[in-house]
Amino acid sequence: MVKFTAEELRRIMDLKHNIRNMSVIAHVDHGKSTLTDSLVAAAGIIAQEVAGDVRMTDTRADEAERGITIKSTGISLYYEMTDESLKNFKGERAGNEYLINLIDSPGHVDFSSEVTAALRITDGALVVVDCVEGVCVQTETVLRQALGERIRPVLTVNKMDRCFLELQVDGEEAYQTFSRVIENANVIMATYEDPLLGDVQVYPEKGTVAFSAGLHGWAFTLTNFAKMYATKFGVDESKMMERLWGENFFDPATKKWTTKNSGSPSCKRGFVQFCYEPIKQIIATCMNDQKDKLWPMLQKLGVTMKSDEKELIGKALMKRVMQTWLPASTALLEMMIFHLPSPSKAQRYRVENLYEGPLDDIYANAIRNCDPEGPLMLYVSKMIPASDKGRFFAFGRVFSGRVSTGMKVRIMGPNYVPGQKKDLYVKSVQRTVIWMGKKQESVEDVPCGNTVAMVGLDQYITKNATLTNEKEVDAHPIRAMKFSVSPVVRVAVQCKLASDLPKLVEGLKRLAKSDPMVVCTIEESGEHIVAGAGELHLEICLKDLQEDFMGGAEIIVSDPVVSFRETVLEKSCRTVMSKSPNKHNRLYMEARPMEEGLAEAIDDGRIGPRDDPKVRSKILSEEFGWDKDLAKKIWCFGPETTGPNMVVDMCKGVQYLNEIKDSVVAGFQWASKEGALAEENMRAICFEVCDVVLHADAIHRGGGQVIPTARRVIYAAQLTAKPRLLEPVYLVEIQAPEQALGGIYGVLNQKRGHVFEEMQRPGTPLYNIKAYLPVIESFGFSSTLRAATSGQAFPQCVFDHWDMMSSDPLEPASQAGQLVADIRKRKGLKEQMTPLSEFEDKL
Amino acid sequence: MDFESKYEISSTVDFIRRRNFTRVALQFPDELLKDSPRVAMVLRSELGKDVRLYVMADAAYGSCCVDEIGASHVNAECVVHYGHACMSPFDGDKLSFSTSTLPAMFVFGKASIDVKDCVQSLIQCLSSSNKSIMVMFGLECAHALEDLKAKVSESLILGQSHPSLKVVYAEVAGLVIDPYVDSTKEIDQVTSHSNSMSDAGFNVNEDERKIFQFSNRNKTESGTSYCLGGLTWNVPDRKIEDYLLFWIGPDNAAFNNVMLTFNNCEIIACEFSWFSSVRYDTDKRCLLKDLPNQQRILRRRYYLVEKAKDANIVGILVGTLGVAGYLHIIEQMKELIKRAGKKSYTLVMGRPNPAKLANFPECDVFVYVSCAQTALLDCKEFLAPVITPFEAVLAFSRGRQWTGEYVVNFQDLIASNIVEEVECAEEARFSFIKGGYMEDSHPQENGKEHDGSSLALTTITEKALSLQHQNPDSILFKGNARSGSEFFAARSYQGLNMQYENPAPPSYVMGRTGRAAAYVDEKRQAEGSPGVVD
Repeated sequence: MVKFTAEELRRIMDLKHNIRNMSVIAHVDHGKSTLTDSLVAAAGIIAQEVAGDVRMTDTRADEAERGITIKSTGISLYYEMTDESLKNFKGERAGNEYLINLIDSPGHVDFSSEVTAALRITDGALVVVDCVEGVCVQTETVLRQALGERIRPVLTVNKMDRCFLELQVDGEEAYQTFSRVIENANVIMATYEDPLLGDVQVYPEKGTVAFSAGLHGWAFTLTNFAKMYATKFGVDESKMMERLWGENFFDPATKKWTTKNSGSPSCKRGFVQFCYEPIKQIIATCMNDQKDKLWPMLQKLGVTMKSDEKELIGKALMKRVMQTWLPASTALLEMMIFHLPSPSKAQRYRVENLYEGPLDDIYANAIRNCDPEGPLMLYVSKMIPASDKGRFFAFGRVFSGRVSTGMKVRIMGPNYVPGQKKDLYVKSVQRTVIWMGKKQESVEDVPCGNTVAMVGLDQYITKNATLTNEKEVDAHPIRAMKFSVSPVVRVAVQCKLASDLPKLVEGLKRLAKSDPMVVCTIEESGEHIVAGAGELHLEICLKDLQEDFMGGAEIIVSDPVVSFRETVLEKSCRTVMSKSPNKHNRLYMEARPMEEGLAEAIDDGRIGPRDDPKVRSKILSEEFGWDKDLAKKIWCFGPETTGPNMVVDMCKGVQYLNEIKDSVVAGFQWASKEGALAEENMRAICFEVCDVVLHADAIHRGGGQVIPTARRVIYAAQLTAKPRLLEPVYLVEIQAPEQALGGIYGVLNQKRGHVFEEMQRPGTPLYNIKAYLPVIESFGFSSTLRAATSGQAFPQCVFDHWDMMSSDPLEPASQAGQLVADIRKRKGLKEQMTPLSEFEDKL
Repeated sequence: MDFESKYEISSTVDFIRRRNFTRVALQFPDELLKDSPRVAMVLRSELGKDVRLYVMADAAYGSCCVDEIGASHVNAECVVHYGHACMSPFDGDKLSFSTSTLPAMFVFGKASIDVKDCVQSLIQCLSSSNKSIMVMFGLECAHALEDLKAKVSESLILGQSHPSLKVVYAEVAGLVIDPYVDSTKEIDQVTSHSNSMSDAGFNVNEDERKIFQFSNRNKTESGTSYCLGGLTWNVPDRKIEDYLLFWIGPDNAAFNNVMLTFNNCEIIACEFSWFSSVRYDTDKRCLLKDLPNQQRILRRRYYLVEKAKDANIVGILVGTLGVAGYLHIIEQMKELIKRAGKKSYTLVMGRPNPAKLANFPECDVFVYVSCAQTALLDCKEFLAPVITPFEAVLAFSRGRQWTGEYVVNFQDLIASNIVEEVECAEEARFSFIKGGYMEDSHPQENGKEHDGSSLALTTITEKALSLQHQNPDSILFKGNARSGSEFFAARSYQGLNMQYENPAPPSYVMGRTGRAAAYVDEKRQAEGSPGVVD
């Protein structure tokens, strides 16, 4: 039944202009997987009849069960286009055969990291938007991500069937809804104006927007209709297309086009007149089983049905008729092939985003030209569990050169630094594999521009890596992916039977590989921690851990734990001083909160340790009101040398100060990682070194004297500056009908959340609610909300910001104080905070 | 308890007289130092003028070990060690690297203990746990052992006893260590003396004098005999796991060692351990179940091992100059670290403290080679973790996993082959600290660099060039340095700075006078305003 063979597929892989790598992205439940099915069906992997029900790309049992996609799944499809349909194609091509490497991605926010991994290895994105629900928070997030990666988007307005069957809206209303959806998407895209990528907004009249009904397997672009009517009206297709969208009205009575509604009852918008109405009519005829009317209509449209199909009735008939008339695959494929870039086109501008090294070296050039004869540059974006337990495929994209079975490759891990040996391995690829639906086919080699899975590298790659030829020692790695979500929810896991510890360790290792976002670490207390983006994400991870990666060994999972941050509210009430162990050196410091937005700027990397001092001082003075000279006196950032805290030298004329700088910085790195309150990371604190007294002999002011002292004085400064806890806060977006609003507000109130935006979606009875919700309160939020709204509200939570808890953590009875005590207890620290007097010394 | 008996004056006098020592060092731990004049006075009056007594305190390493070096400064012929002792075998003839070895006598002191109450708890444990009990104790409680034994057997007979359940007691291994004299005879003599002199004697079994043996576990016909921290005991016909450990004494290093060595329940599951230990605290007179604490310590050690795996530079801290085999283990550690592709530096610094260790910020982890009871250092104040040789073996041998055993004495490590190759699947090392694969540079590669071939220069140059690529921050503060020299090269301060802003020399100023706590000029200021002093 499969219409193509691995050999055919392999052959087109060499035709770099005939390849399209694309991902399907959307908000949860907008119909990605269902729509993907239609495409897969067209390639002949599954039967046309079941397209829309199989969800081919949901390969896991739990995906099928929950009806959501969890992992992104790649699938290579082969299509042969007709000359007729390609006659308007202006780009380069070689023959009519096309290879589509398609990746279906999850829509739930908790799995956004899968989307990121998918976007990296594709060049185009099919953005699916529910025509009723419109652009949602996740649509926005993934769109931004796509554009950040320089992925060209095309849009499809999905679930058209709802308009016709469920809501039965009239033409003009539907048009308004669609155009609003498109406009909303364009607003987001417009903010990402990129000269190299060109105009990324989508226009129905240019054919970059499709209208689809994934469930029923049909879709169209205005091209379809333009072709149909162009001959009739005697105008060329592009002219016709423009008339089919926007402010173009046609009055059949006068047979005239106008740009305004003339007011006469027969005057209708082009789109309504020529696209919407005919479809509506066909659907209505089918649903009412008016077969006598139907056949002539179909004949007029040039649609022929098989005789057995004519026996169908109702919905089945409608589905079949629409599939034959406007097959989803044709419309979508045409849109992709026409409007999404081929690898050779896309890599020309993506190279800047991708390659870390100099943009004029041979590697950059090979990527830019998508050169199959150049050195191998391959990015592994994720690891896919293989059927033999415990092993993984390394899945990625070849950007230049070719990768072949048995080839020795140089693996550059995420911590690789060019010229060094750290995180670098040379291993051979045991097998190269391409994905065809649910099965994999081995191929001899895979040239650039394609996605590939490799066997035999999984013991050296955790999540992602750059591969190159063994001898290419000068190659720089491809830039690491940036995720839009962060692993804020953590649980401690331990095995029920102590003897299972090796299994747990092995299982965690595999879990870390299987998901781009999950982080498996160990706490200072020796507990194994699994951190994920949200409750659902963790739930899936833990299930995988236990069932797939530990062979069913029992594990004990702690309650979810959230990490906090420590900050300060005000400037230290006095300059604090600490003496070194030998009492001969003294450090004087003050702590103060950073200016608003500065910590975020550091997080985003706009300000960091490796800045040009001039640029840094410009940003700091212009945006944050710093003194220009002071900006040059930043000693360091921390923790981990890049964190959102800093030490600034405010001393004047102190001798030997340079000598102790490294020691103070070392003490600061240490202290900022483990704050004085509960040993959580510090955030947004600026420590000012006010004065220093040092012993005249170098031996008495060494690291041993200064490092512990710096740590103590930093703690003292923190404690005197009204320390506060920061808690992570989710941005929650909920879409629900009006009657559910009461329940939503109730649950949010009870969970310390607050709504900051409530908006009715124009043209729908749905409300969009945006609220902030502390992460710590979010456990069980989804289910509580569903219960309170009888299943009508479905929240999407994504980490948004750190919020200061107003209560004083130094007050044991306060909420923050209680939290601090809990954290300390969990970490096995003394429950009482170390008092200020331990850190501050008096003269 | 009276002074003479607490310090066992008469047996000490006997010990000295019997061997005709004329120069005797009395070693006191800090907490007993206050009694030292009186002890010395009493001893002097007993011994007369011929014997010179020296009081030693503030030992360079743990006060639980015999400070041989200190004693040899005064040319002492023997050491009388007071207070808590680890009874680590010190360098005898077996591995004679050091030239002097001294006979030593141990006086543990006598902690007050309510035997009746203790017996009651013990019986209660016996009936509630349904397990045989192994009684272990801190050495300072040893004096009450006989009394305890008698009372326990008494009440066992009285009460409804479980026939299958037994109470087994550990014994003190010996009170004297003498490398020159045939130890067996000597200890017998001393033991008989102490039996007669003190109110409770020690019953030292001939077979169980295993203290000088390297392994703390010996299979004999009658069962397995163990030896740990001066205690020795024999487990007849059953495994130690079948016993409930009953510890009498304070929560100190000795107890921790017992806990860690016999942790046989593995590191993570606490509820499921079928082996538990109960502690009777002599001060608070209460029973404490110590499982959570034990699990916490083990887990913490587990974390430190994981952390050590990521280290590039390892400092070997020499924490003893006396314990038998320390030079041997240091050599083994060096070899082990080298094979793991890491760099090691050996540091001798006496008792480590945060300030001393912070002088070596380039070390990512320290291995502390010392007697068993001072080996566990887990102070949050240290910049880098300090681990024991056993943990180092776990951390630095590839493919080795913690199976739950814990060895506190490094002598036992010497016996087992440390550098044995563990077969492991070829896989990069997964670091749980960083949450990903971390490759350590292969030891073979390091070896190659030492080949004096023509390529050596190229590699060095390459290395030097690549150094510039790396951000000094990541070398200095994120443990990315591969060697001490690399670390030093990255430091921001490189020595005297010749570019003065103002070429003219500054004028001569008067320095400070007074003590560092508060200089003379500061006192006045501090009284006036507590503000900044420049």
